[in-house]
Amino acid sequence: MKLPDTQVALLEAASATDSKTVAQLADDTGENPEALAGAAFDLEERGLVAVEERTEERLALTDEGSRYREAGLPEVRLYCAAVAAGATDDPVNMGRVIGDADLEGPTVDIALTNFAQKGLGDIEDGALSADPDVDPESDAHAAALAAIADGEEVSDDAVVDRLAERGLVDRSERVERAVTLTDDGVTALMEGVEPAETVGQLTPDLLTSGEWKDVEFAEYNVEADADPASGGRTHILRQTAESVKDTLVGMGFSEMEGPHADADFWINDALFMPQDHPARTHWDRFTLDTEPMDDLPTELVDRVEDAHRNGVGENGEGYHSPWSEEFAREVALRGHTTSLSMRYLSGEAVGELEPPQRWFSVEKVYRNDTLDPTHLLEFFQIEGWVMAEDLSVRDLMGTFEEFYSQFGITDIEFKPHYNPYTEPSFELFGTHPETGEIVEIGNSGIFREEVLRPLGVGCDVMAWGLALERLLMLMYGFEDIRDVHGTLCDLDLLRNVEVLA
Amino acid sequence: MPVVDVDPDELRELAGYEAKSDAELREDLFALGLEFEGETDDGAFQFEFAPDRLDRLSVEGIARSLRYQYGDARGVYVPSTNDAEWTVEVRDVPDERPYVTAAVVRGVDMTEGKLESLIQLQEKLHATMGRKRAKGAIGVHDLAMLKGRSADEEKDGSKVISYTGIDPDGDRFVPLDADADMTPAEVLTDHPTGDTYADLVADYDSYPAIYDEIGLFSFPPVINGKRTEVDEGSRDLLIEMTGTDQWTVDKMLTIVCYALDARGGRIEEVTVDYPDRELVRPALDTRTKTVTHDRIETTLGIDVSGEDVVDLFERSGLDASETDRDGETAYEVTIPPYRVDVLHPMDLVDDVGRAYGFNELEPRYPDVSTVGSRHDRSKLERSVRNALVGLGFEDLLNFHMISEEENYERMCVTQDTDVLGGGASVAVEGPYSEAYTMLRTWALPSLTMVLENNTHRRYPQDIAEVGFAAERDPDAASGVAERRTVAAALARTDASYEDAKARLQRLASAFGADLSTPPTEHPSFIDGRAAEIRLDGEPAGIIGELHPAVLVEHDLELPVAAFEFDLAALA
Repeated sequence: MKLPDTQVALLEAASATDSKTVAQLADDTGENPEALAGAAFDLEERGLVAVEERTEERLALTDEGSRYREAGLPEVRLYCAAVAAGATDDPVNMGRVIGDADLEGPTVDIALTNFAQKGLGDIEDGALSADPDVDPESDAHAAALAAIADGEEVSDDAVVDRLAERGLVDRSERVERAVTLTDDGVTALMEGVEPAETVGQLTPDLLTSGEWKDVEFAEYNVEADADPASGGRTHILRQTAESVKDTLVGMGFSEMEGPHADADFWINDALFMPQDHPARTHWDRFTLDTEPMDDLPTELVDRVEDAHRNGVGENGEGYHSPWSEEFAREVALRGHTTSLSMRYLSGEAVGELEPPQRWFSVEKVYRNDTLDPTHLLEFFQIEGWVMAEDLSVRDLMGTFEEFYSQFGITDIEFKPHYNPYTEPSFELFGTHPETGEIVEIGNSGIFREEVLRPLGVGCDVMAWGLALERLLMLMYGFEDIRDVHGTLCDLDLLRNVEVLA
Repeated sequence: MPVVDVDPDELRELAGYEAKSDAELREDLFALGLEFEGETDDGAFQFEFAPDRLDRLSVEGIARSLRYQYGDARGVYVPSTNDAEWTVEVRDVPDERPYVTAAVVRGVDMTEGKLESLIQLQEKLHATMGRKRAKGAIGVHDLAMLKGRSADEEKDGSKVISYTGIDPDGDRFVPLDADADMTPAEVLTDHPTGDTYADLVADYDSYPAIYDEIGLFSFPPVINGKRTEVDEGSRDLLIEMTGTDQWTVDKMLTIVCYALDARGGRIEEVTVDYPDRELVRPALDTRTKTVTHDRIETTLGIDVSGEDVVDLFERSGLDASETDRDGETAYEVTIPPYRVDVLHPMDLVDDVGRAYGFNELEPRYPDVSTVGSRHDRSKLERSVRNALVGLGFEDLLNFHMISEEENYERMCVTQDTDVLGGGASVAVEGPYSEAYTMLRTWALPSLTMVLENNTHRRYPQDIAEVGFAAERDPDAASGVAERRTVAAALARTDASYEDAKARLQRLASAFGADLSTPPTEHPSFIDGRAAEIRLDGEPAGIIGELHPAVLVEHDLELPVAAFEFDLAALA
């Protein structure tokens, strides 16, 4: 019979008459006890040995117990010092005896308590007297400590209990396994057992030669942690962007693209943002040190200027704000991707669009603002719009409910709002899936005629915008967006963040 | 967005609802679009709202809106006015600030609460419509302290003050919060308020000034004189506004007059006498606009009767009468003068919607069929990103903005040289932060910074980014050539050119591009270990081992092999 090394060693060391503990077998064979225990069970399964388990109480000294074993129990030291100071005859000042016994700190209390409890003498009015009949050499506690340290039995359970209470002895239970050869085991031994070969790595040689049939594979510690594996992941913000894109494509939206650096005309003027609007001042926008954009569609510029100055429609009024083409031609980083919507709606991007249309983008926008845990200079804006005849506020609400429900955000509330470019306008509020808090999740509305008519759009267009980072923070519960987006990112966070399906 | 402090007790009193609890008030105001932000130390509520209804910048205006909401007020209200006694004569004013308007309000009996509310309204109007006083600035004066000049012997009791322009050191007056008299120029340099608003008149040849019989009493838009300061106990007020647009200052005045009318003030007209025309102010005329019934029903998605529409208009503080427009039912809607936000009939449809309650509307998914799709570049970006992740790269997302130092110097690259990354910068004017002053011309500096910031993290660090880069290009419409770039870096103790090349080969072949790498020189890379990336024969980027000078600059203590090329080369 071929058996693994350990099992062979165990069989040979075991006896049919004397049961041997695993510890004894380990001494006999030189194998490690865990491996032997495993081998014993395997052999038991084969019916070659019987394994008997018994639970044994084990006593061991604690650190404190070991110290007292070396230096003597504090109360005994106190007694000896008291005797030396003559306290068998007359009470002696306690402080002096404590000093003589070299006791300090918490040991003093321990010594005094046990001194009194064991009847080694009396303590009264700060003076100590010692009982002359006590033999300090035969203290039961000290003897028990010595016996436990030497691995001997202590017969008096009360003493052990008391030592355990004093925290000088640890009790632990240990399962002892004893192994005896069965008749089958004896037979097998007589017929002869030999060790099977064990191998670490399965090699091409072993496979091609057929040797693998006769080898035992060395066992691994399959529970141990392995070295971390390296592997790439798509950035979580990109993943979120992808899932937004997939959702919108599924809802019939097509993706827009266009310049990051654009004329203010496309970023603001086409949107009916007055040129003296606070958001168009130096501090909020990133103006670039480039030449003004010459390449603007002249007729469209005229129509937009007219809308700003005179309004649109017979009852329309314009703004009472200055308007200059020079300002409209200035180039800046876009503050929103609505500049793309303007390019598409005007026909500049992909030609005239006939209703119905649905378009979106998930792209970077820029705000000249302070960086803090929730605000970045650059972030992604989800922008979407629907063009159709006779759209209502209810269509807008229905579209957003559908979109947000895809990300687990339901119960949307619509708060009437004001934007220069939409009317009616709504801020969208939703319930945070984790915290239950009501948070703003977007801004929306139906584009004003002052926006659409100059662009040449005769029907209705409803639109909305939302920061992608906001959706991400809602979904993942991040608190500092800078850990994720930008060069201050933490690679470990990106490597380990849980994937949301 | 504007934030207004409101004393809840004053609001209850002005709205006529003494018994409303704080919570009820907050809820009712949220329905009007005023969001509760918190309380001040004095227990006033702070509300934030969108900057359309500037008539709500005071407790008086908010109370008026509440009365409409509760149904206690209906339709348009216009305060009555008494005939003008005072005239503002406009002569030789600065070209930059030619417009003025004014009103007299009598019997205000100023209390602490009224004064605080008036000062707040003034500040908030300055911040919004007034564009920080540039477009319109308000001055409120104690009328009792003014002495009008009698212009016309025959016109009994007429009183004249004048708005004019003077030399910066042309006269002296004692400004508010000062004890000594100063010239306007001295106010700008020596007075804290003057310092704040000095920029507004920096380019003016002559400074705006308002005079009465006694002398100079106001230096708009900077500061008023101490003589006419309003305090508790002031009864009659003169309110003047100067600015760059007549309509704007007139509307600001209207909003102030409505607030003082709500406090029991009696409004009295003022004649504004320009050399070529005469205006009577405040302008409290209403306007009308026509809205069709169909537009209301279509936009709100509801069926509603004509009677209900009129009711909804009246509850919004508007008057409406049903009329016929080309055979269609329509409404002629009268709009009170404080509604500066109404530019188009659609703004009135919005009022109907708010009065109806937008949250009463049942959402519906629009019955409109379209087919969706991604655009090509977005699809290519995704594919390349997925391929890089498959090759073991951690996908990164960095800012498009960077500093010149990071983009060029720390990579050992000089601006305006003919290497990848050496393109001329597009800079941001007036950057908020020194770390973000230009658009990055390439992405490897960002990746190197990520390595620099993660030296405490486990290696290998294989990172990649498919992202945006841009450089100056006079031929582009915007002057900016924008491109998408693919960058990757391998940071590990044994990183070599070959490791980077192996991955690049795999990437190129996955996209069917024919790769060759002729040797080249690039200051960011070690000589002899750098190559040009050519895809299908066209130069597309650079690959190599980063130069030790770059590594040491970024506190990196192991080799980095990297490449970067144009995404379009894989299309």
